[in-house]
Amino acid sequence: MENFKAYIETGILELYVLGDISQAEKLQVEEMAEKYPEIKAELAEIERSLEAYALQNAVQPPDHLRERVLNSLVTNFANDNNFPTKGRTHDDNEDVRDNVITFTGRSNNFYKYAFAASMLALIASLFGIYSLNNQLQQSQETIASLRIKNTSFANQVNYIENEVTVLRDPEAKVLKLQGLPKAPGAQLTIAWMPKKKKVMINLEDMKLAANDKDHQYQLWAIVDGKPVNLGVFDAAKADTAGMKEMKPVSNAVMFAVTLEKHGGVPSPTMSEMVVAAKI
Amino acid sequence: MTKKRKISLTEEELVQALGNREKIAIEALYDMYSSSLMGVISRIVIDTATAEDVLQETFIKIWNSFQSYSSEKGRLFTWMVNIARNMAIDKIRSKDFKNQNKNQELENNVTFIDEQVNTVYKPELMGIKELVEKLKPEQKVILDLVYFKGYTHVEAAEELGMPLGTVKTRLRMAIMQLRKYFN
Repeated sequence: MENFKAYIETGILELYVLGDISQAEKLQVEEMAEKYPEIKAELAEIERSLEAYALQNAVQPPDHLRERVLNSLVTNFANDNNFPTKGRTHDDNEDVRDNVITFTGRSNNFYKYAFAASMLALIASLFGIYSLNNQLQQSQETIASLRIKNTSFANQVNYIENEVTVLRDPEAKVLKLQGLPKAPGAQLTIAWMPKKKKVMINLEDMKLAANDKDHQYQLWAIVDGKPVNLGVFDAAKADTAGMKEMKPVSNAVMFAVTLEKHGGVPSPTMSEMVVAAKI
Repeated sequence: MTKKRKISLTEEELVQALGNREKIAIEALYDMYSSSLMGVISRIVIDTATAEDVLQETFIKIWNSFQSYSSEKGRLFTWMVNIARNMAIDKIRSKDFKNQNKNQELENNVTFIDEQVNTVYKPELMGIKELVEKLKPEQKVILDLVYFKGYTHVEAAEELGMPLGTVKTRLRMAIMQLRKYFN
């Protein structure tokens, strides 16, 4: 009966709780505790007091350690699916819905925000590149259209200059070559400056049937009863309007135009004469 | 973002949750016991970073070998504090640790350590002065050597140059005082 009291007195229970005991003694204490509730109660009290003492001497680990330890334990979760969730009843099922725990800390958030920020920067710069590219394309188109306009202005200026030269020249003779039976509606105006031997045709008010690829109009002058080749030209299209200078001639008595094969021929084909005029 | 809320369960709930390997148990375990266990570990392993490593290893061991704990044989904390103490002692006796020359001389007593670390005083344990008065210095020295520094009572007797019987008696007296104070 008083057996257990003497056992308690030996101080072995304290050493048991402190873990300072051999394996054989350990088993003995556990056996005794099972046999005598008094010993079991004694052990419980020793444990409780030492636990309280430890709490009183507790040292708070740094905050960052919590996340580290919890994460290392989460890693040790073997398999999410194997965890029973029935063990305890919960008023709210929130806690047991899944076994995956994410411990979000500041560092995680930092990377999240950093990532979001860099994505934003990327999108912004892509948009910038896109709009700059658009602007560049527009500028290039503008340049191209300005070049075309410039060319057409230059042409116009050239034409006007020619026209002015012709009109100012007192010796200039303006001849209207009229349509022949072959082409009754045809008409061509030429300016001729005999002293300068200059011959120009006005493509502006030319009325000639459009020639095809294989044929061109050829201008002739009759000098000393013989036809002289003054060059070929195409029936003008609207955008090439202007004056065209032909080969020089000084003492012509007549001008005529025939439709010849492309590039011209040495002597005119009389049957293909479309317009003509005598001086 | 996530507010750090401390989780606290009764020991019975915690043991059951740990047995079921519920996620809440991990957090509760840490929140309820990390500072008490750190108190023991940091008195054996003086280097803070190493002590933190030991605390982490201790929790991993507790988690992984939980099936070997039996509530029939004692309180959860008793089981855990013995794991923590053993792991801390293993650490300072390991080759790595000795090579790092971080080993502390045994003369470094608990008082010295208490100056080094932030001891947490819980409001419910405000009567600490009263306890210190009740716990006689010669009792406290032995208790702290064995409980916090991981000495066996045999080592403590050698260290203090006392008969083994005296050490055992004083140890028991010290714990009796704690019981009077806490229970």
